[in-house]
Amino acid sequence: MAELSFPLPDLGEGLIEATILEWLVAEGDQVERNQPLVEVETTKSTVELPSPQAGTVVKVHGDAGSVIAVGDPLIVFEVPDDTAGIVGTVPAEKAPARRVRLSAVLDDD
Amino acid sequence: MGRHRDHLVEGSDPQLSVALHPPASDAGLRPVLLLHGFASSTKLNWVDSGWIRFLNEAGRAVITVDLPGHGDSAAPEARDSYSPSRIRADVLQVLQDHHVAPLREGVPASGVDIIGYSLGSRLAWEFGATQPELVHRMVLGGPGSGDPLAEFDLAAAQELLAEGTPIKDPRTAELMRMARLVPTNDVFALLTMVEAVKDEPFIPAEAVPRMPLLLVAGENDDLAATAQELADLAPHAELLKLPARTHANAVTSRAFKAAAVAFLSA
Repeated sequence: MAELSFPLPDLGEGLIEATILEWLVAEGDQVERNQPLVEVETTKSTVELPSPQAGTVVKVHGDAGSVIAVGDPLIVFEVPDDTAGIVGTVPAEKAPARRVRLSAVLDDD
Repeated sequence: MGRHRDHLVEGSDPQLSVALHPPASDAGLRPVLLLHGFASSTKLNWVDSGWIRFLNEAGRAVITVDLPGHGDSAAPEARDSYSPSRIRADVLQVLQDHHVAPLREGVPASGVDIIGYSLGSRLAWEFGATQPELVHRMVLGGPGSGDPLAEFDLAAAQELLAEGTPIKDPRTAELMRMARLVPTNDVFALLTMVEAVKDEPFIPAEAVPRMPLLLVAGENDDLAATAQELADLAPHAELLKLPARTHANAVTSRAFKAAAVAFLSA
């Protein structure tokens, strides 16, 4: 098993932080991808953040009322080893599927 | 579902953005119509907050409509387009377009349930009062017996836009803050709506919905401080308070959603 940590995602529109309102999952819970994880409030609105990952919740960061900056750790999952490469690692290098001609095509004039 | 250009209410097409959100597995109950609040939208009030997913998972089909000047709906110049009575007529047309039929005893798919928030709750209150044969039950979020939009200081808002003069009235200032935060909001359309609401302010005792109502308000919701007075006007209303929530952040509350789904399934 491997641990995968997810930060508070960019919520758009220049928002730099959000306040935790309520966790909808707890440590030890098995969650599905897209299952709502947490309610957060920004200066603009209140949203439910869906899970980017299926797995077991190992740790949640921040109690109700705490402020988390975009990019700071939000939640940690435990996932089977073979899924850990989905996020955070560079895919293995492969030969390009399609070649593009880089030389200039000169006009006829 | 797209816009309904072929259905005309009072001669002109309101060009409202309407959508049907069917559940993966239908519980066989009547659809739920969602009415969002002032300066909000279907996306902010119901999609991003997880309501549509929650209702769909409970097997409920959902109908959403962006109010005029909000979300993906058109923002006409004419003040009449924003009047509460005109919006209620347009909502009735939306339900007819979705083949919502009058309530029939023993037919759980007949009629419609409504969930409103803030201005959407005011519109729902009036709609339910005038369409008792269609509306089965309603959940009214962030409601009050007063009318924050009718009390809105329009002159101060216009001075803010023209000169940057700060707004003194705290409720007007907060509504303007919300209106200007969302980059897609058309502030001038929203102010036209305020003018239209001032022409037809909310007077809840004038028409009272008689079907069962669940009123839901954050404990710290200043705009819904009079929710109990509103509940007392209706013959079958109960009030649920959400601990520690405000007008802005009660929307996502899991307790709110769970209570709404349970109430509407009864």
